[in-house]
Amino acid sequence: MTSTADRPPAPEHSSGPLSPHLQIYRPQLTSVLSFAHRLSGIALSVYSVVLVAWLMAAAAGSGPFSSMQAVMQSLGGQVLLGAGVFCFFLHLCGGIRHLFWDAGYGFELTNIYVSGWAVVAASVALTALAWLASSKM
Amino acid sequence: MIIRSSSQVPRKSLLERFPVPRNFGVSPRSRIVPGRTWPAPEDATRVQTFDIYRFDPESGGNPRIDSFEVDLDDCGPMVLDVLIWIKNKVDSTLTFRRSCREGVCGSCAMNIDGTNWLACTRFVAETRKRATIYPLNNMRILKDLVPDLRHVFAQYNLIEPWLKTRTPAPEKERLQSPAERQEIDGYWECILCFCCTSGCPSHWWNADRFLGPAVLLQAWRWLVDSRDEARGERLDELEDPFRLYRCHTILNCTRTCPKGLNPGKAIGGIKKLLLERKT
Amino acid sequence: MALQSMRSSLGRAAGLGSAKGGVTQWWAERVSAVALIPLTLWLAASLIKHSGSDYAGVIAWLQSPLVALLLVLLLISLFSHLALGLCVIIEDYIHSGAKFAALLIVRFTCFSLCVTGILATLRIALIT
Repeated sequence: MTSTADRPPAPEHSSGPLSPHLQIYRPQLTSVLSFAHRLSGIALSVYSVVLVAWLMAAAAGSGPFSSMQAVMQSLGGQVLLGAGVFCFFLHLCGGIRHLFWDAGYGFELTNIYVSGWAVVAASVALTALAWLASSKM
Repeated sequence: MIIRSSSQVPRKSLLERFPVPRNFGVSPRSRIVPGRTWPAPEDATRVQTFDIYRFDPESGGNPRIDSFEVDLDDCGPMVLDVLIWIKNKVDSTLTFRRSCREGVCGSCAMNIDGTNWLACTRFVAETRKRATIYPLNNMRILKDLVPDLRHVFAQYNLIEPWLKTRTPAPEKERLQSPAERQEIDGYWECILCFCCTSGCPSHWWNADRFLGPAVLLQAWRWLVDSRDEARGERLDELEDPFRLYRCHTILNCTRTCPKGLNPGKAIGGIKKLLLERKT
Repeated sequence: MALQSMRSSLGRAAGLGSAKGGVTQWWAERVSAVALIPLTLWLAASLIKHSGSDYAGVIAWLQSPLVALLLVLLLISLFSHLALGLCVIIEDYIHSGAKFAALLIVRFTCFSLCVTGILATLRIALIT
């Protein structure tokens, strides 16, 4: 048995395997809501292009505007719009939660969970409200 | 929800309902292959199966999952007791770090049932019916459940976790009021188990440049210590798009800390200090 | 083994040193976020109110100077918030040289879209 003095020094970096992370980590409200916030942000970036396109169509004349309206009023368009509204409210409520954290409030674990569920509930409620309101117009 | 008793443990976790392909996007040498099953002794009545990550550096193969059927009447109540039972009675090559067995040294930090905790303070009764034990996430594995912590400790060294002063040392102690001493409460208790850092998705994607919650919590501990006189220099070293600002307030760290500390809050404090000195 | 880096853990962790900056972008994202809260809620409410209007109704609404102003402010805050957020995401996930190309593409696209939107708004408000 060689003593530690005889063995060559251990290499600075192990060449072993990397332990699994995303594949085995339990999904929790913290990580899932954070990912949803990021995903809704990316989706909203795409919707911003749609907003600019809508403004361009309005500036171009009633012809392009009507074709844009037709697309938005189709079934696919309405589904995408509904998803967009949900993403908007999710990112908005999540964003307000983030701003509270940046100000220093709401870091205790119970508050994190209460505010997290509140964000989910508020997004769903506001989306439903928006759809009800627009169907009445 | 936050689990406070074993009755709240969900019967079937999301990962069991929607299993992720275990080896998706993983480099060939980290791919996990099925291992062997170690049956329980014949006279055992209360048996629970533990799926444990194994890796043998000497054999040079891939890491594998070994299933151990454990006689719960023969070992203590904690997950660490199960590991020790397995090492004593079934497979003596099972390798893991442990020392104090009471949750103060941080050696036995590992991923139990998908979340990071200390094995010595996690009750077996609170584990899933088929418990899984993995080493801390996104770490180079030396053997079985032993991760290579050199990088995270080097990151800890980087924030210079010692008192930095210019005024000469007084005759006795550097004085600090009780209120000032209270500022470091909730941060000095960190045992550097790295459960939080290895559970942080941002650290998974940017381990080489993002310091991680454990190190940033300690950075905060030294920033708010009233006896320290290098606050500006510490903030200079931290103000970096990667060292600090890879934190997106995911808060997996606060969720998983086995000592109940709040790294997310500490990092929020650092960000506030950095804003204060800019405006 | 010989191909592995011989750099010490501390050297590797220290990297290129601290950039000594980063607050500006962090603060800019928060400022644009706070500005966006009232602006986007206003836009959402207005779009819901005009969801049943025809072309003339929408144009009449867009020609109001207040609406044009709010829309321009919204576009500026939206695209700066967007650009900052997307750049952070790119920095998180892409580490090769492609990162710089992606950052440039995102910034140019956001700026162009912002200017396009502002021009369209001004065209409706001032010319039609």
